[in-house]
Amino acid sequence: MYIKEISVENYRNYDELSLQFDNQINVIIGENAQGKTNLMEAIYVLAFTKSHRTAKDKELIKWDSNYAKIKGDVFKRNRSFPLEVIFSQKGKKAKFNHIEQKRLSDYIGALNVVMFAPEHLNLVKGSPQERRKFIDMEIGQIQPVYIYHLGQYQKILKQRNALLKDLQRQKQTDRTMLKVLTEQLIEHGSIVLKKRLQFLQKLREWATPIHDGISRGLEALTIDYEGSINVSEDTDLERIIETYTSYYDSIEDREVERGTTLAGPHRDDLIFYVNNRNVQTYGSQGQQRTTALSLKLAEIELIDQEVGEYPILLLDDVLSELDAHRQSHLLNTIQGKVQTFVTTTSVDGIHHETLKDAQIFNIHNGQLLSER
Amino acid sequence: MYYPEPITKLIDSFTKLPGIGPKTAARLAFFVLEMKEDDVLDFAKSLVNAKRELTHCTVCGHITDQDPCSICSDQSRDNSVICVVQDPKDVIAMEKMKDFQGKYHVLHGTISPMEGIGPEDINVSTLIERLKDEKVEELILATNPNVEGEATAMYISRLVKPSGLRLTRIAHGLPVGGDLEYADEVTLSKALEGRRDL
Ligand SMILES: Nc1ncnc2c1ncn2[C@@H]1O[C@H](COP(=O)(O)OP(=O)(O)OP(=O)(O)O)[C@@H](O)[C@H]1O
Ligand SMILES: [Mg+2]
Ligand SMILES: [Zn+2]
Repeated sequence: MYIKEISVENYRNYDELSLQFDNQINVIIGENAQGKTNLMEAIYVLAFTKSHRTAKDKELIKWDSNYAKIKGDVFKRNRSFPLEVIFSQKGKKAKFNHIEQKRLSDYIGALNVVMFAPEHLNLVKGSPQERRKFIDMEIGQIQPVYIYHLGQYQKILKQRNALLKDLQRQKQTDRTMLKVLTEQLIEHGSIVLKKRLQFLQKLREWATPIHDGISRGLEALTIDYEGSINVSEDTDLERIIETYTSYYDSIEDREVERGTTLAGPHRDDLIFYVNNRNVQTYGSQGQQRTTALSLKLAEIELIDQEVGEYPILLLDDVLSELDAHRQSHLLNTIQGKVQTFVTTTSVDGIHHETLKDAQIFNIHNGQLLSER
Repeated sequence: MYYPEPITKLIDSFTKLPGIGPKTAARLAFFVLEMKEDDVLDFAKSLVNAKRELTHCTVCGHITDQDPCSICSDQSRDNSVICVVQDPKDVIAMEKMKDFQGKYHVLHGTISPMEGIGPEDINVSTLIERLKDEKVEELILATNPNVEGEATAMYISRLVKPSGLRLTRIAHGLPVGGDLEYADEVTLSKALEGRRDL
Protein backbone atom coordinates (compact mmCIF):
# COMPACT_ATOMS: atom_id res chain seq x y z
CA MET A 1 0.00 0.00 0.00
CA TYR A 2 1.05 3.58 -0.37
CA ILE A 3 -0.16 7.13 0.10
CA LYS A 4 -0.64 8.95 -3.19
CA GLU A 5 -1.39 12.32 -1.74
CA ILE A 6 -1.85 14.07 1.53
CA SER A 7 -3.36 17.47 2.22
CA VAL A 8 -3.50 19.33 5.48
CA GLU A 9 -5.47 22.39 6.55
CA ASN A 10 -4.85 24.46 9.68
CA TYR A 11 -2.75 21.64 10.98
CA ARG A 12 0.21 22.40 13.34
CA ASN A 13 2.38 25.01 11.55
CA TYR A 14 0.69 24.40 8.17
CA ASP A 15 -2.01 26.67 6.69
CA GLU A 16 -2.74 24.58 3.69
CA LEU A 17 -0.49 22.16 1.91
CA SER A 18 -0.97 19.33 -0.51
CA LEU A 19 1.80 16.89 -1.41
CA GLN A 20 1.94 14.08 -3.94
CA PHE A 21 4.23 11.22 -3.05
CA ASP A 22 6.36 8.69 -4.80
CA ASN A 23 5.43 5.12 -3.95
CA GLN A 24 9.04 4.41 -3.02
CA ILE A 25 11.17 6.76 -0.95
CA ASN A 26 10.23 10.30 0.01
CA VAL A 27 12.74 12.50 1.79
CA ILE A 28 11.61 15.54 3.72
CA ILE A 29 14.41 18.02 4.25
CA GLY A 30 14.32 21.13 6.37
CA GLU A 31 16.00 23.01 9.18
CA ASN A 32 14.94 22.40 12.75
CA ALA A 33 11.40 23.39 13.70
CA GLN A 34 10.17 23.80 10.12
CA GLY A 35 7.49 21.11 10.18
CA LYS A 36 9.15 17.82 9.19
CA THR A 37 7.96 15.82 12.20
CA ASN A 38 4.58 17.51 11.86
CA LEU A 39 4.23 15.98 8.38
CA MET A 40 5.17 12.52 9.63
CA GLU A 41 2.74 12.96 12.45
CA ALA A 42 0.00 13.86 9.93
CA ILE A 43 0.46 10.51 8.21
CA TYR A 44 0.44 8.74 11.56
CA VAL A 45 -2.73 10.55 12.61
CA LEU A 46 -4.39 9.57 9.34
CA ALA A 47 -3.76 5.94 10.27
CA PHE A 48 -4.56 6.00 13.99
CA THR A 49 -6.67 9.17 14.48
CA LYS A 50 -4.23 10.19 17.16
CA SER A 51 -0.72 11.52 17.40
CA HIS A 52 2.34 9.50 18.32
CA ARG A 53 3.69 12.32 20.46
CA THR A 54 0.73 13.83 22.27
CA ALA A 55 -2.49 12.58 23.80
CA LYS A 56 -4.05 16.02 23.41
CA ASP A 57 -5.76 16.23 20.03
CA LYS A 58 -6.16 20.00 20.31
CA GLU A 59 -2.40 20.50 19.96
CA LEU A 60 -2.78 19.44 16.32
CA ILE A 61 -4.94 22.45 15.51
CA LYS A 62 -3.00 25.45 14.21
CA TRP A 63 -2.75 27.99 16.97
CA ASP A 64 -5.11 30.64 15.58
CA SER A 65 -7.64 28.21 14.07
CA ASN A 66 -10.58 26.30 15.42
CA TYR A 67 -10.24 23.14 13.38
CA ALA A 68 -7.61 21.02 11.66
CA LYS A 69 -8.09 18.70 8.72
CA ILE A 70 -5.90 15.94 7.33
CA LYS A 71 -6.87 14.15 4.14
CA GLY A 72 -5.10 11.38 2.32
CA ASP A 73 -5.48 9.22 -0.73
CA VAL A 74 -4.42 5.68 -0.07
CA PHE A 75 -3.76 2.95 -2.59
CA LYS A 76 -4.30 -0.53 -1.16
CA ARG A 77 -5.43 -3.85 -2.62
CA ASN A 78 -5.57 -2.43 -6.15
CA ARG A 79 -7.85 0.45 -5.40
CA SER A 80 -7.58 3.90 -3.93
CA PHE A 81 -9.74 5.41 -1.26
CA PRO A 82 -9.76 8.70 0.65
CA LEU A 83 -9.26 8.97 4.40
CA GLU A 84 -10.00 12.08 6.39
CA VAL A 85 -9.56 13.10 10.01
CA ILE A 86 -10.95 16.38 11.33
CA PHE A 87 -10.26 17.90 14.72
CA SER A 88 -12.38 20.67 16.16
CA GLN A 89 -13.25 22.10 19.54
CA LYS A 90 -16.06 19.54 19.72
CA GLY A 91 -13.86 16.51 19.14
CA LYS A 92 -12.77 14.52 16.14
CA LYS A 93 -14.29 12.83 13.15
CA ALA A 94 -12.76 10.12 11.00
CA LYS A 95 -14.03 9.35 7.52
CA PHE A 96 -13.30 6.32 5.41
CA ASN A 97 -14.38 6.70 1.79
CA HIS A 98 -16.20 9.95 2.72
CA ILE A 99 -18.30 8.14 5.33
CA GLU A 100 -17.90 9.01 8.99
CA GLN A 101 -16.96 6.03 11.15
CA LYS A 102 -18.40 6.13 14.64
CA ARG A 103 -16.22 3.45 16.12
CA LEU A 104 -12.45 3.67 16.20
CA SER A 105 -12.25 -0.03 15.41
CA ASP A 106 -14.13 0.56 12.15
CA TYR A 107 -11.55 3.08 10.98
CA ILE A 108 -8.17 1.94 12.23
CA GLY A 109 -6.56 -0.64 10.00
CA ALA A 110 -7.53 1.03 6.72
CA LEU A 111 -4.04 2.52 6.52
CA ASN A 112 -1.13 0.64 8.08
CA VAL A 113 1.79 2.67 9.32
CA VAL A 114 4.98 1.82 11.14
CA MET A 115 6.78 4.74 12.72
CA PHE A 116 10.43 4.62 13.69
CA ALA A 117 11.72 7.67 15.57
CA PRO A 118 14.66 8.21 17.93
CA GLU A 119 12.45 7.58 20.95
CA HIS A 120 11.85 4.03 19.70
CA LEU A 121 15.54 3.32 20.05
CA ASN A 122 14.61 3.50 23.70
CA LEU A 123 11.96 0.82 23.46
CA VAL A 124 14.11 -1.71 25.25
CA LYS A 125 15.39 0.61 28.00
CA GLY A 126 12.24 2.69 28.36
CA SER A 127 9.26 2.20 30.64
CA PRO A 128 6.99 -0.88 30.50
CA GLN A 129 4.23 1.51 29.45
CA GLU A 130 6.08 2.31 26.21
CA ARG A 131 6.43 -1.39 25.42
CA ARG A 132 2.75 -1.98 26.12
CA LYS A 133 1.86 0.94 23.87
CA PHE A 134 4.05 -0.50 21.13
CA ILE A 135 2.40 -3.91 21.28
CA ASP A 136 -1.13 -2.45 21.59
CA MET A 137 -0.79 -0.15 18.58
CA GLU A 138 0.61 -2.90 16.39
CA ILE A 139 -2.04 -5.47 17.25
CA GLY A 140 -4.72 -2.79 16.93
CA GLN A 141 -3.88 -1.97 13.35
CA ILE A 142 -3.80 -5.62 12.34
CA GLN A 143 -6.87 -6.69 14.34
CA PRO A 144 -9.14 -3.71 15.02
CA VAL A 145 -11.36 -5.80 17.34
CA TYR A 146 -8.41 -5.76 19.75
CA ILE A 147 -8.95 -2.01 20.22
CA TYR A 148 -12.52 -2.69 21.29
CA HIS A 149 -11.52 -5.21 23.96
CA LEU A 150 -8.65 -3.04 25.18
CA GLY A 151 -11.00 -0.06 25.44
CA GLN A 152 -13.58 -2.05 27.41
CA TYR A 153 -10.81 -3.41 29.62
CA GLN A 154 -9.58 0.09 30.42
CA LYS A 155 -13.07 1.33 31.27
CA ILE A 156 -13.70 -1.59 33.61
CA LEU A 157 -10.26 -1.16 35.15
CA LYS A 158 -11.08 2.45 36.07
CA GLN A 159 -14.34 1.36 37.70
CA ARG A 160 -12.63 -1.46 39.52
CA ASN A 161 -9.83 0.77 40.83
CA ALA A 162 -12.42 3.29 42.05
CA LEU A 163 -14.28 0.53 43.87
CA LEU A 164 -11.07 -0.88 45.39
CA LYS A 165 -10.30 2.62 46.73
CA ASP A 166 -13.78 2.71 48.31
CA LEU A 167 -13.25 -0.72 49.86
CA GLN A 168 -9.82 0.29 51.11
CA ARG A 169 -11.26 3.35 52.84
CA GLN A 170 -14.26 1.29 53.95
CA LYS A 171 -16.67 3.60 52.15
CA GLN A 172 -18.01 0.30 50.82
CA THR A 173 -17.88 -3.04 52.55
CA ASP A 174 -19.86 -5.39 50.33
CA ARG A 175 -17.64 -7.20 47.84
CA THR A 176 -20.37 -8.44 45.47
CA MET A 177 -19.74 -5.57 43.06
CA LEU A 178 -16.00 -6.27 43.17
CA LYS A 179 -16.70 -9.85 42.05
CA VAL A 180 -18.80 -8.51 39.18
CA LEU A 181 -16.08 -6.12 38.02
CA THR A 182 -13.44 -8.84 38.33
CA GLU A 183 -15.52 -11.10 36.11
CA GLN A 184 -15.92 -8.32 33.54
CA LEU A 185 -12.24 -7.42 33.70
CA ILE A 186 -11.28 -11.02 33.07
CA GLU A 187 -13.69 -11.33 30.15
CA HIS A 188 -11.85 -8.65 28.18
CA GLY A 189 -8.42 -9.01 29.80
CA SER A 190 -8.20 -12.64 28.73
CA ILE A 191 -8.82 -11.75 25.10
CA VAL A 192 -6.25 -8.94 25.30
CA LEU A 193 -3.70 -11.32 26.81
CA LYS A 194 -4.38 -14.10 24.31
CA LYS A 195 -4.05 -11.73 21.35
CA ARG A 196 -0.84 -10.25 22.72
CA LEU A 197 0.70 -13.69 23.16
CA GLN A 198 -0.30 -14.74 19.64
CA PHE A 199 1.06 -11.51 18.18
CA LEU A 200 4.32 -11.91 20.05
CA GLN A 201 4.71 -15.45 18.82
CA LYS A 202 4.52 -14.23 15.22
CA LEU A 203 6.71 -11.19 15.87
CA ARG A 204 9.40 -13.46 17.32
CA GLU A 205 9.43 -15.58 14.18
CA TRP A 206 10.38 -12.51 12.15
CA ALA A 207 12.52 -10.65 14.68
CA THR A 208 14.90 -13.48 15.50
CA PRO A 209 16.29 -14.03 11.96
CA ILE A 210 16.35 -10.29 11.28
CA HIS A 211 18.35 -9.67 14.43
CA ASP A 212 20.66 -12.50 13.47
CA GLY A 213 21.19 -10.80 10.11
CA ILE A 214 21.94 -7.34 11.49
CA SER A 215 24.34 -8.73 14.08
CA ARG A 216 26.00 -10.96 11.46
CA GLY A 217 25.06 -14.06 13.38
CA LEU A 218 26.64 -12.91 16.62
CA GLU A 219 23.47 -12.25 18.60
CA ALA A 220 20.48 -14.49 19.28
CA LEU A 221 17.39 -12.48 20.20
CA THR A 222 14.57 -13.90 22.31
CA ILE A 223 11.46 -12.09 23.53
CA ASP A 224 9.43 -13.04 26.60
CA TYR A 225 6.03 -11.86 27.74
CA GLU A 226 5.99 -11.13 31.43
CA GLY A 227 2.46 -11.38 32.79
CA SER A 228 0.75 -11.94 36.10
CA ILE A 229 -0.33 -15.46 35.21
CA ASN A 230 1.58 -18.30 33.68
CA VAL A 231 0.05 -19.10 30.30
CA SER A 232 1.32 -19.32 26.72
CA GLU A 233 0.02 -18.48 23.24
CA ASP A 234 -1.26 -22.07 22.98
CA THR A 235 -3.37 -21.86 26.13
CA ASP A 236 -7.03 -21.69 25.15
CA LEU A 237 -9.22 -18.81 26.21
CA GLU A 238 -11.26 -20.86 28.71
CA ARG A 239 -8.10 -21.85 30.50
CA ILE A 240 -6.81 -18.26 30.56
CA ILE A 241 -10.12 -17.16 32.11
CA GLU A 242 -9.89 -19.90 34.75
CA THR A 243 -6.31 -19.02 35.57
CA TYR A 244 -7.07 -15.32 35.92
CA THR A 245 -10.15 -16.12 38.02
CA SER A 246 -8.28 -18.13 40.60
CA TYR A 247 -5.38 -15.66 40.58
CA TYR A 248 -7.64 -12.66 41.26
CA ASP A 249 -9.32 -14.70 44.00
CA SER A 250 -5.98 -15.27 45.66
CA ILE A 251 -4.97 -11.59 45.63
CA GLU A 252 -8.36 -10.05 46.45
CA ASP A 253 -7.51 -9.10 50.03
CA ARG A 254 -4.21 -7.60 48.95
CA GLU A 255 -5.93 -5.57 46.24
CA VAL A 256 -8.42 -4.18 48.77
CA GLU A 257 -5.59 -3.35 51.14
CA ARG A 258 -3.70 -1.51 48.41
CA GLY A 259 -6.82 0.01 46.85
CA THR A 260 -5.86 -0.84 43.28
CA THR A 261 -5.83 -3.61 40.67
CA LEU A 262 -2.59 -5.54 41.01
CA ALA A 263 -2.76 -7.92 38.04
CA GLY A 264 -3.77 -7.92 34.40
CA PRO A 265 -2.55 -6.90 30.95
CA HIS A 266 -2.16 -3.27 32.07
CA ARG A 267 0.78 -4.33 34.27
CA ASP A 268 2.45 -6.78 31.90
CA ASP A 269 5.74 -6.23 30.11
CA LEU A 270 8.02 -7.50 27.35
CA ILE A 271 11.52 -8.68 28.11
CA PHE A 272 14.26 -8.96 25.50
CA TYR A 273 17.25 -11.26 25.73
CA VAL A 274 20.37 -11.31 23.60
CA ASN A 275 22.39 -14.51 23.96
CA ASN A 276 20.24 -15.28 27.02
CA ARG A 277 21.09 -12.05 28.78
CA ASN A 278 18.50 -9.40 29.55
CA VAL A 279 19.14 -6.56 27.11
CA GLN A 280 17.48 -4.01 29.34
CA THR A 281 19.92 -4.72 32.17
CA TYR A 282 23.03 -5.89 30.38
CA GLY A 283 22.70 -4.77 26.77
CA SER A 284 25.09 -2.22 25.31
CA GLN A 285 23.58 0.79 23.59
CA GLY A 286 24.35 -0.80 20.24
CA GLN A 287 22.59 -4.03 21.22
CA GLN A 288 19.56 -2.08 22.35
CA ARG A 289 19.46 -0.24 19.04
CA THR A 290 19.81 -3.41 17.06
CA THR A 291 16.95 -4.91 19.08
CA ALA A 292 14.73 -1.90 18.43
CA LEU A 293 15.58 -2.00 14.72
CA SER A 294 14.89 -5.75 14.52
CA LEU A 295 11.50 -5.22 16.12
CA LYS A 296 10.53 -2.49 13.68
CA LEU A 297 11.63 -4.52 10.69
CA ALA A 298 9.80 -7.56 12.06
CA GLU A 299 6.69 -5.45 12.44
CA ILE A 300 6.85 -4.47 8.77
CA GLU A 301 7.09 -8.11 7.70
CA LEU A 302 4.36 -9.16 10.09
CA ILE A 303 1.93 -6.57 8.75
CA ASP A 304 2.67 -7.82 5.24
CA GLN A 305 1.96 -11.37 6.42
CA GLU A 306 -1.30 -10.47 8.17
CA VAL A 307 -2.67 -7.72 5.93
CA GLY A 308 -1.24 -8.93 2.64
CA GLU A 309 0.59 -5.69 1.90
CA TYR A 310 3.53 -3.80 3.32
CA PRO A 311 2.72 -0.86 5.59
CA ILE A 312 4.02 2.66 5.16
CA LEU A 313 7.23 3.33 7.02
CA LEU A 314 7.96 6.64 8.71
CA LEU A 315 11.59 7.26 9.62
CA ASP A 316 11.71 10.46 11.62
CA ASP A 317 15.28 11.62 12.28
CA VAL A 318 16.27 8.06 12.92
CA LEU A 319 18.42 7.24 9.92
CA SER A 320 21.20 9.55 11.03
CA GLU A 321 21.07 7.91 14.46
CA LEU A 322 22.04 4.55 12.99
CA ASP A 323 25.54 3.60 11.91
CA ALA A 324 26.28 2.87 8.27
CA HIS A 325 25.87 -0.88 8.68
CA ARG A 326 22.46 -0.66 10.35
CA GLN A 327 21.40 2.05 7.90
CA SER A 328 22.07 -0.09 4.90
CA HIS A 329 20.46 -3.10 6.51
CA LEU A 330 17.33 -1.07 7.00
CA LEU A 331 17.34 0.47 3.54
CA ASN A 332 18.08 -2.84 1.84
CA THR A 333 15.14 -4.47 3.59
CA ILE A 334 12.63 -1.87 2.51
CA GLN A 335 14.01 -1.25 -0.95
CA GLY A 336 11.40 -1.53 -3.64
CA LYS A 337 8.64 -2.83 -1.39
CA VAL A 338 7.84 -0.30 1.29
CA GLN A 339 6.77 3.29 0.73
CA THR A 340 9.04 5.18 3.10
CA PHE A 341 9.20 8.70 4.45
CA VAL A 342 12.52 9.96 5.75
CA THR A 343 13.10 13.27 7.51
CA THR A 344 16.48 14.84 7.88
CA THR A 345 18.11 18.26 8.19
CA SER A 346 20.52 17.34 5.40
CA VAL A 347 21.25 14.34 3.21
CA ASP A 348 24.93 14.45 4.21
CA GLY A 349 24.63 11.92 7.02
CA ILE A 350 22.83 9.45 4.82
CA HIS A 351 24.92 7.36 2.48
CA HIS A 352 22.92 5.04 0.40
CA GLU A 353 22.12 4.31 -3.18
CA THR A 354 18.37 4.32 -2.62
CA LEU A 355 18.29 7.95 -1.63
CA LYS A 356 19.57 8.97 -5.04
CA ASP A 357 16.27 8.18 -6.73
CA ALA A 358 14.15 9.48 -3.89
CA GLN A 359 11.57 12.20 -4.22
CA ILE A 360 12.82 15.15 -2.20
CA PHE A 361 10.66 17.79 -0.51
CA ASN A 362 12.20 20.94 0.92
CA ILE A 363 10.15 22.25 3.81
CA HIS A 364 10.48 25.71 5.32
CA ASN A 365 8.18 27.24 7.91
CA GLY A 366 5.18 25.11 7.07
CA GLN A 367 5.59 25.59 3.32
CA LEU A 368 6.97 23.61 0.44
CA LEU A 369 10.05 25.40 -0.96
CA SER A 370 10.91 22.99 -3.70
CA GLU A 371 10.39 19.47 -4.88
CA ARG A 372 12.44 17.17 -7.02
CA MET B 1 -23.79 41.00 23.91
CA TYR B 2 -26.27 42.90 26.11
CA TYR B 3 -29.79 41.55 26.61
CA PRO B 4 -32.43 42.87 29.04
CA GLU B 5 -32.43 40.79 32.21
CA PRO B 6 -35.67 38.80 31.62
CA ILE B 7 -34.20 37.48 28.37
CA THR B 8 -30.85 36.67 29.94
CA LYS B 9 -32.67 34.65 32.58
CA LEU B 10 -34.74 32.81 29.99
CA ILE B 11 -31.60 32.02 27.95
CA ASP B 12 -29.92 30.74 31.11
CA SER B 13 -32.87 28.45 31.78
CA PHE B 14 -32.78 27.01 28.29
CA THR B 15 -29.04 26.28 28.50
CA LYS B 16 -29.78 24.04 31.49
CA LEU B 17 -31.57 21.60 29.16
CA PRO B 18 -29.49 18.79 27.67
CA GLY B 19 -28.06 19.36 24.20
CA ILE B 20 -28.78 23.10 24.17
CA GLY B 21 -25.90 25.53 23.85
CA PRO B 22 -25.97 29.33 24.24
CA LYS B 23 -26.81 29.97 20.57
CA THR B 24 -29.79 27.64 20.47
CA ALA B 25 -30.91 28.94 23.85
CA ALA B 26 -30.93 32.52 22.53
CA ARG B 27 -32.88 31.43 19.45
CA LEU B 28 -35.48 29.65 21.62
CA ALA B 29 -35.75 32.61 23.99
CA PHE B 30 -36.46 35.03 21.16
CA PHE B 31 -38.97 32.60 19.74
CA VAL B 32 -40.83 32.59 23.07
CA LEU B 33 -41.09 36.38 22.85
CA GLU B 34 -42.91 36.01 19.54
CA MET B 35 -45.34 33.38 20.88
CA LYS B 36 -48.96 34.14 21.85
CA GLU B 37 -49.30 34.93 25.53
CA ASP B 38 -51.76 32.04 26.09
CA ASP B 39 -49.37 29.54 24.60
CA VAL B 40 -46.56 30.83 26.77
CA LEU B 41 -48.76 30.51 29.87
CA ASP B 42 -49.72 26.95 28.92
CA PHE B 43 -46.09 26.09 28.38
CA ALA B 44 -45.06 27.50 31.75
CA LYS B 45 -47.91 25.67 33.50
CA SER B 46 -46.99 22.35 31.89
CA LEU B 47 -43.43 22.76 33.07
CA VAL B 48 -44.47 23.41 36.65
CA ASN B 49 -47.18 20.75 36.72
CA ALA B 50 -44.94 18.09 35.23
CA LYS B 51 -42.53 18.71 38.05
CA ARG B 52 -45.09 19.09 40.87
CA GLU B 53 -47.63 16.44 40.01
CA LEU B 54 -45.30 13.68 38.91
CA THR B 55 -43.73 11.43 41.50
CA HIS B 56 -42.04 8.10 41.40
CA CYS B 57 -44.18 4.99 41.75
CA THR B 58 -43.33 3.44 45.13
CA VAL B 59 -43.58 -0.04 43.62
CA CYS B 60 -41.60 0.16 40.38
CA GLY B 61 -39.96 3.60 40.41
CA HIS B 62 -41.50 4.75 37.12
CA ILE B 63 -42.65 8.38 36.86
CA THR B 64 -46.37 8.73 37.53
CA ASP B 65 -49.12 11.10 38.67
CA GLN B 66 -50.81 8.40 40.75
CA ASP B 67 -49.22 5.92 43.12
CA PRO B 68 -48.94 3.02 42.31
CA CYS B 69 -48.57 3.85 38.62
CA SER B 70 -51.03 2.78 35.93
CA ILE B 71 -48.79 -0.12 34.88
CA CYS B 72 -48.40 -1.48 38.40
CA SER B 73 -52.13 -1.20 39.07
CA ASP B 74 -53.18 -2.75 35.75
CA GLN B 75 -54.76 -6.11 36.72
CA SER B 76 -54.55 -7.48 33.19
CA ARG B 77 -50.76 -7.42 33.08
CA ASP B 78 -48.59 -10.41 33.74
CA ASN B 79 -47.28 -10.27 37.30
CA SER B 80 -44.83 -13.07 36.83
CA VAL B 81 -42.33 -11.13 34.67
CA ILE B 82 -40.46 -7.97 35.66
CA CYS B 83 -38.34 -6.08 33.16
CA VAL B 84 -35.57 -4.12 34.89
CA VAL B 85 -34.57 -0.91 33.09
CA GLN B 86 -32.31 2.07 33.77
CA ASP B 87 -34.64 4.98 33.06
CA PRO B 88 -38.33 5.93 32.83
CA LYS B 89 -37.58 6.64 29.15
CA ASP B 90 -36.82 2.94 28.67
CA VAL B 91 -40.28 2.03 30.03
CA ILE B 92 -41.85 4.42 27.55
CA ALA B 93 -39.82 2.93 24.68
CA MET B 94 -40.89 -0.60 25.66
CA GLU B 95 -44.53 0.40 26.12
CA LYS B 96 -44.63 1.93 22.65
CA MET B 97 -43.84 -1.38 21.09
CA LYS B 98 -46.80 -3.03 22.91
CA ASP B 99 -45.17 -6.46 22.92
CA PHE B 100 -44.35 -6.71 26.56
CA GLN B 101 -47.17 -7.60 28.94
CA GLY B 102 -45.23 -7.88 32.20
CA LYS B 103 -44.25 -5.25 34.73
CA TYR B 104 -41.25 -2.99 35.11
CA HIS B 105 -38.70 -1.90 37.62
CA VAL B 106 -36.83 1.35 37.05
CA LEU B 107 -33.34 1.59 38.56
CA HIS B 108 -32.72 5.29 37.90
CA GLY B 109 -29.13 4.80 36.88
CA THR B 110 -26.35 2.24 36.91
CA ILE B 111 -23.71 1.34 39.45
CA SER B 112 -20.55 3.32 38.71
CA PRO B 113 -17.88 3.47 41.44
CA MET B 114 -15.98 6.08 39.42
CA GLU B 115 -18.89 8.50 39.78
CA GLY B 116 -19.47 7.48 43.38
CA ILE B 117 -22.66 5.60 42.52
CA GLY B 118 -22.93 2.40 44.56
CA PRO B 119 -25.72 -0.22 44.68
CA GLU B 120 -27.36 1.76 47.49
CA ASP B 121 -27.68 4.80 45.22
CA ILE B 122 -29.91 3.11 42.65
CA ASN B 123 -33.36 1.60 43.05
CA VAL B 124 -32.26 -1.99 43.80
CA SER B 125 -33.37 -2.62 47.38
CA THR B 126 -37.06 -2.12 46.50
CA LEU B 127 -36.62 -4.64 43.70
CA ILE B 128 -35.37 -7.23 46.18
CA GLU B 129 -38.38 -6.48 48.42
CA ARG B 130 -40.73 -6.90 45.45
CA LEU B 131 -39.27 -10.29 44.65
CA LYS B 132 -40.10 -11.42 48.19
CA ASP B 133 -43.73 -10.26 48.05
CA GLU B 134 -44.82 -10.72 44.45
CA LYS B 135 -45.04 -14.04 42.65
CA VAL B 136 -42.31 -13.26 40.14
CA GLU B 137 -40.97 -16.08 37.96
CA GLU B 138 -38.74 -14.21 35.56
CA LEU B 139 -36.56 -11.12 35.75
CA ILE B 140 -35.49 -9.56 32.44
CA LEU B 141 -32.40 -7.41 32.87
CA ALA B 142 -32.64 -4.73 30.19
CA THR B 143 -29.95 -2.29 31.28
CA ASN B 144 -27.89 -0.71 28.49
CA PRO B 145 -25.29 -2.92 26.81
CA ASN B 146 -22.33 -0.79 27.87
CA VAL B 147 -19.80 -1.52 30.61
CA GLU B 148 -21.86 -0.01 33.46
CA GLY B 149 -25.18 -1.44 32.27
CA GLU B 150 -23.62 -4.87 31.94
CA ALA B 151 -22.03 -4.65 35.40
CA THR B 152 -25.32 -3.57 36.99
CA ALA B 153 -27.14 -6.50 35.36
CA MET B 154 -24.46 -8.88 36.63
CA TYR B 155 -24.71 -7.39 40.11
CA ILE B 156 -28.48 -7.87 40.27
CA SER B 157 -28.19 -11.39 38.92
CA ARG B 158 -25.73 -12.25 41.69
CA LEU B 159 -28.15 -10.93 44.30
CA VAL B 160 -31.24 -12.78 43.08
CA LYS B 161 -29.69 -15.94 41.67
CA PRO B 162 -30.00 -17.87 44.97
CA SER B 163 -33.79 -17.37 44.86
CA GLY B 164 -33.90 -19.65 41.81
CA LEU B 165 -36.09 -17.48 39.58
CA ARG B 166 -35.42 -17.28 35.85
CA LEU B 167 -32.98 -14.51 34.93
CA THR B 168 -32.62 -13.30 31.39
CA ARG B 169 -30.58 -10.59 29.75
CA ILE B 170 -31.57 -8.70 26.63
CA ALA B 171 -28.74 -9.57 24.34
CA HIS B 172 -29.25 -9.17 20.61
CA GLY B 173 -30.16 -6.45 18.22
CA LEU B 174 -28.79 -3.65 20.33
CA PRO B 175 -25.71 -1.82 19.19
CA VAL B 176 -22.72 -2.38 21.43
CA GLY B 177 -22.20 0.68 23.54
CA GLY B 178 -25.54 2.07 22.40
CA ASP B 179 -28.40 3.37 24.49
CA LEU B 180 -31.72 1.58 24.71
CA GLU B 181 -33.40 4.95 24.33
CA TYR B 182 -32.29 5.21 20.73
CA ALA B 183 -33.12 1.67 19.75
CA ASP B 184 -36.04 1.59 17.35
CA GLU B 185 -39.03 -0.59 18.07
CA VAL B 186 -38.07 -3.39 15.71
CA THR B 187 -34.66 -3.89 17.28
CA LEU B 188 -36.28 -3.75 20.71
CA SER B 189 -38.74 -6.56 19.85
CA LYS B 190 -35.87 -8.61 18.49
CA ALA B 191 -33.90 -7.87 21.64
CA LEU B 192 -36.77 -9.15 23.74
CA GLU B 193 -37.14 -12.31 21.68
CA GLY B 194 -33.44 -13.02 21.78
CA ARG B 195 -32.95 -12.69 25.50
CA ARG B 196 -30.59 -15.20 27.02
CA ASP B 197 -30.61 -16.94 30.37
CA LEU B 198 -28.05 -15.83 32.90
N1 LIG C 1 -0.54 23.76 16.88
C1 LIG C 1 0.46 24.42 16.29
N2 LIG C 1 0.23 25.55 15.60
C2 LIG C 1 1.23 26.23 15.00
N3 LIG C 1 2.52 25.85 15.02
C3 LIG C 1 2.82 24.72 15.68
C4 LIG C 1 1.81 23.95 16.34
N4 LIG C 1 2.40 22.88 16.93
C5 LIG C 1 3.71 22.98 16.64
N5 LIG C 1 3.99 24.08 15.90
C6 LIG C 1 5.28 24.54 15.40
O1 LIG C 1 5.80 23.56 14.54
C7 LIG C 1 7.21 23.60 14.62
C8 LIG C 1 7.79 22.23 14.90
O2 LIG C 1 7.65 21.47 13.82
P1 LIG C 1 8.30 20.03 13.78
O3 LIG C 1 8.24 19.38 15.10
O4 LIG C 1 7.68 19.36 12.63
O5 LIG C 1 9.80 20.41 13.50
P2 LIG C 1 10.88 19.59 12.70
O6 LIG C 1 10.97 20.16 11.34
O7 LIG C 1 10.62 18.15 12.82
O8 LIG C 1 12.19 20.01 13.52
P3 LIG C 1 13.38 19.12 14.11
O9 LIG C 1 14.36 19.00 13.00
O10 LIG C 1 13.89 19.95 15.20
O11 LIG C 1 12.82 17.82 14.56
C9 LIG C 1 7.59 24.48 15.75
O12 LIG C 1 8.08 25.69 15.24
C10 LIG C 1 6.31 24.67 16.50
O13 LIG C 1 6.26 25.91 17.11
MG1 LIG D 1 11.41 16.64 14.06
ZN1 LIG E 1 -45.27 1.31 39.13
